[in-house]
Amino acid sequence: MSNMKTVEVVYNTRERAGEKSPGKIYSEKLKVRRRREWRGLKDTLFDYSRWCYLMFGVLGKFILNPRNVKGFLRYRWMMSYLFVPHGMDKFTIGLRDEALRITHYAMNYVIADVTQAIHNCFRGDRRVGNDVAYSEKCCITDENSMVPFVMGFDKEKMHTILREVPTMFASNIFHQFNVMHYLDVAQQNGIPGDVCPMPEAEAGVSMDDDFCVLGACAVQNNTTCDGSLMGNGIIAKRLEKQYGIPTYQLATPLRHQEEDVIDYAVEQIKGAIAFIEEHTGEKWEWPVYFEAARRVNVATRCRNAQLEINSTPYPQFFGAVFSLYNDTNYMGNAGRDPYFEVLDKKLLKLAEQGYKEKRMYAKEYRHRAIVWGVQPQYVIDMLYWMVQCWGVVPLVDMLSVINKDMIAETDTPENREQAFRDMAMLNMQMIMRNHTHGGYKVLVDELWDLCEKMNADVVMMWEHMSCKALNGMHGMFEEQGRERGIHIMWVNHDLCDPRVFTRSAIRDQVNRYMRTVMREEPLDPSLEHIPDDEAY
Amino acid sequence: MSKFAKIPLMIAGVGAGLFVGTFTMYMFNLDMKMMTLVAPLLEKWYDSREHDFYL
Repeated sequence: MSNMKTVEVVYNTRERAGEKSPGKIYSEKLKVRRRREWRGLKDTLFDYSRWCYLMFGVLGKFILNPRNVKGFLRYRWMMSYLFVPHGMDKFTIGLRDEALRITHYAMNYVIADVTQAIHNCFRGDRRVGNDVAYSEKCCITDENSMVPFVMGFDKEKMHTILREVPTMFASNIFHQFNVMHYLDVAQQNGIPGDVCPMPEAEAGVSMDDDFCVLGACAVQNNTTCDGSLMGNGIIAKRLEKQYGIPTYQLATPLRHQEEDVIDYAVEQIKGAIAFIEEHTGEKWEWPVYFEAARRVNVATRCRNAQLEINSTPYPQFFGAVFSLYNDTNYMGNAGRDPYFEVLDKKLLKLAEQGYKEKRMYAKEYRHRAIVWGVQPQYVIDMLYWMVQCWGVVPLVDMLSVINKDMIAETDTPENREQAFRDMAMLNMQMIMRNHTHGGYKVLVDELWDLCEKMNADVVMMWEHMSCKALNGMHGMFEEQGRERGIHIMWVNHDLCDPRVFTRSAIRDQVNRYMRTVMREEPLDPSLEHIPDDEAY
Repeated sequence: MSKFAKIPLMIAGVGAGLFVGTFTMYMFNLDMKMMTLVAPLLEKWYDSREHDFYL
């Protein structure tokens, strides 16, 4: 222990407004919280105003459309969206001031974006809205797909539908049990239980006939692992053979750090664009592309600035919402929605203000952690719990460590060629693939660089037990972490299946490490054991 | 008091009533507690639906 790195403890000089121990609002009997947190008058009213916005401005507006009611009753995964406000509460535990505002503004827009995606799915769905003219201008893509190959299509004319995001990815955040049905369907049909439950659940949704069916074509991507290839195969077969939706396989090189793969990656992007043009009848427009590229650069600059703030003693924007916001903005949006530019700047302004005021999420920051590996969807509030309960600040997570470089944003003949290389680079370095593939340098070496740059003394290592890509490096992390004096806190989980590791089983791994290795007591004992295993 | 003078008072009264109602719902998490009653019924509804399995 004496050789282990330590960081200076940072104390919060401000007393937290409202209640001090949010642990008492959890309930063993109810499947949701007993009540909402009292955050002092100002912050409670702000939280209430955002609740009103979600309830009436987003969800209420959505359900007033009869087509959406029909879709709601047709698809099992829609049940998760009954619990959106409960999901939002998971992210705001103990938050006040700028942190509360950043979390709400970022996550509320992610929720609004997913709601719009569901609305679009139902509009074109052959079984719900059956708007044929709309559907013929849609291209559906994977949940894990980076979408630079649609940056040059006018989004009012050609609609990109990330069909798996509302169906599986987001729905699991709001309702921890809702994916289990699809896992069971997949396993009843012979898919082994040890593949990643995310693509497995998506395959289960397809088998169970629970995907919306729309689109003139689809683009699938070899995203991150054997599981995603398996899932894509099953989904593509149904799309093509039963629904007659032609599907393009965007085969992206995995060794994305090697210069010699770029020509092949460019050919793949060009192929996807030509395929979409052929099937939707819409044309690629360079002014549209370069405007989107400019917005991608704004997002990159803002994200780099947020990470810069997080490397100081007063980090401002971190946790699952930072990750989910980046997922949505960087990967699902890729510069196409102008509002993200406004929001990026607003969030950065709030973070700068919080930094100036030395705002903190908890009363002490004892450890600074890099979060590596993939977070479980069903315990999405874990990082907020960790900082509130133990004072371990999650400075950044692996999924948010993405492209830091600018791409060409001016429309010139040379830049049109460069644009294909940029799109190929963005696609190869999509969230997940950029670290889980590309060799040990991006998975292992880059972690130590980050620890150095962000002055971290702990790596919280999510060990997703079905993720072979990461588990293969277990020994290397252990050995190199020991050499550098960095604490490696392993936390096992099974991504989407709470039957394998429950929420409390996951948190107990941190509790044990903090008590036995760090020899510390919790900052807030009311949070050490919270009875939410049965909660949504 | 004239009819017109009562209008702002009525608006304020309705606004205050709406605020008290929704704030109570928000603070005591009544919205989500209500959903925990709806969810099991919906689950039965989804279970009763016929599935077109395809592999």
